[in-house]
Parts: sequence; C-alpha cells; structure tokens
Amino acid sequence: MPSPLLPNYLRANRKRLALSQDEVAFLLGTRSGGKVCRYERFVRQPSLETALAYEAIFRRSVSELFPGLYQKVERDVAERAKTLRERRDCKANGQTARKRQALTELAQSLA
Amino acid sequence: MKKTIPQYPRILAIAPSSRGFGFALLEGLNVLADWGVKSIKGDKNAGCTAKVAEMIAHYQPDVIVLEDASIKPFNRSARIRALGKRIVTLAERSRVAVRLFPRTQVWQMFFVEGQGTKHAIAEILAKKYPEELGFRLPPKRRPWMSEDYRMDIFDAVALSLVLRRRSTRNRT
Repeated sequence: MPSPLLPNYLRANRKRLALSQDEVAFLLGTRSGGKVCRYERFVRQPSLETALAYEAIFRRSVSELFPGLYQKVERDVAERAKTLRERRDCKANGQTARKRQALTELAQSLA
Repeated sequence: MKKTIPQYPRILAIAPSSRGFGFALLEGLNVLADWGVKSIKGDKNAGCTAKVAEMIAHYQPDVIVLEDASIKPFNRSARIRALGKRIVTLAERSRVAVRLFPRTQVWQMFFVEGQGTKHAIAEILAKKYPEELGFRLPPKRRPWMSEDYRMDIFDAVALSLVLRRRSTRNRT
C-alpha cells in the first residue's frame, strides 16, 4: 500500500521556479509571504481563487499541485458514489442504467 | 527490530556537511517534493538535530536515509559521525525507519565500475530532475576551490534514490 501523498507541492514548485515566498505572494495578490508560508506548511488551505492562481503561476493543474488533498477528495467521492448507488430512494425513483453505470465506474475507478 | 517500509515510501534523505546539512524529500513515483540546504551557526550538531526534528514533524517521512559514516576507514569527521548517530536516535524516538548506505553503494548505483566523482553524480541528477535541480548544479570544482554548498542537495537526492532503487528492486 503506497503512503498517502503530501497535501500540496507548493514549496517544491516555488523552488522549481526559484521564486521567494514574497514574490509568490505578490503574484497571488496578497500582501506578504506569511500566507504563502502557511500554505506550504499545510497550516492553511488556499481558496479556490488562490488555487487557480497557483495553477497559473506554476503551469501545473490543481490536482498536481495538491496531490494529497486531491487523493483524499477522490476517495471521499468514491465512497459517496458507492452510497448513492446503494440508496433505496435512488433505485425507487427509476435510476437509469446510465446513472448506475456512471456511479459504479466512479466507485471502482477511485477505490 | 528493523521497521518495514511501505511501497513507495516518503523518503527524507539527510546529507550532513561542514555547514549544516542538505536534504531531499522523495515521495510517490520519484517525485522530488522538497530539497535544500540548511546552514547552522553555533552548535552545529544541536542545530542540525533540531532542524531535522522539525522536518520529521512536518513531513512525517516513512524512512530517513543517511550516509553510513561509521565504516572504517572513516572518511567523515568525528562531529559528522556524532551527528549521524544523533539523527538515528532522533528517528528511532520518532518511530521512523532509518536506512544507512555507505558511499560505495551510492557510487555503485550511478557508475558501472563503482567509481566516479560527486560532480558526475550531480550531473546525472540534474539531468534526471532538470526543472528542480538543473539550475542548482554548481560549476565543476577546481583543486583550489572548496566544495559548493549546493552539492549537499545532490548528495541527499542520491541517497534517497539508492533506497528507492533498492525498495523497487526487492518488490519486483
């Protein structure tokens, strides 16, 4: 079983471009590098807008920049897909074959 | 008891030097998640141990890799050998597995004849990780120059790759 990944690779990507925390903060539109430091130490999670700004700066997708967080979210979605597939009301409402197939695939591919 | 290491472990490699230490964090399929040099002033061993403790708490590695400096004839100073022991003790206290590799094993991984230079290893690693390490490759050292501080990063990355190579080979 592989180890869970780190929540984000923001520090590695910043170092890859030889940028300082203050420079990244400027690019993100925040005042100082303190916030950037907290993101990199996994103390704070960036907003969607900041995450997209990171994607624009580092030219990497959000799921690549936040692999651990993505892994966790992906696993949670798979669990919920499994639950939704098994739900009685869902079946009673005439769940289509397509929907069931999509949920099965989602639960299996992400498990 | 030797702790078992998971598949694709998070590896923290430490390469102590006269200035402080170089480090590299490897995870997943050879993703270089962090790397750098920590310079310590004053009591170097106490400072280095404190920094390594911070890194263990932050990154929670599965395994720490160090150079085995205890093999005779000693090619590292008494202070660095003592630092190695302190890091091993710290890792054991934090319940992190430790693996020690002698320098010869690192060379065997990079060179067919088992002999080469640190700069040659650094060049190989700069080619393997061009975006991360390419611009950090120091110029080739001349006889009158002291070693560039950036070489500590390459030493640490090389150590982490030795463990990665060994663990993947053992599983295949």
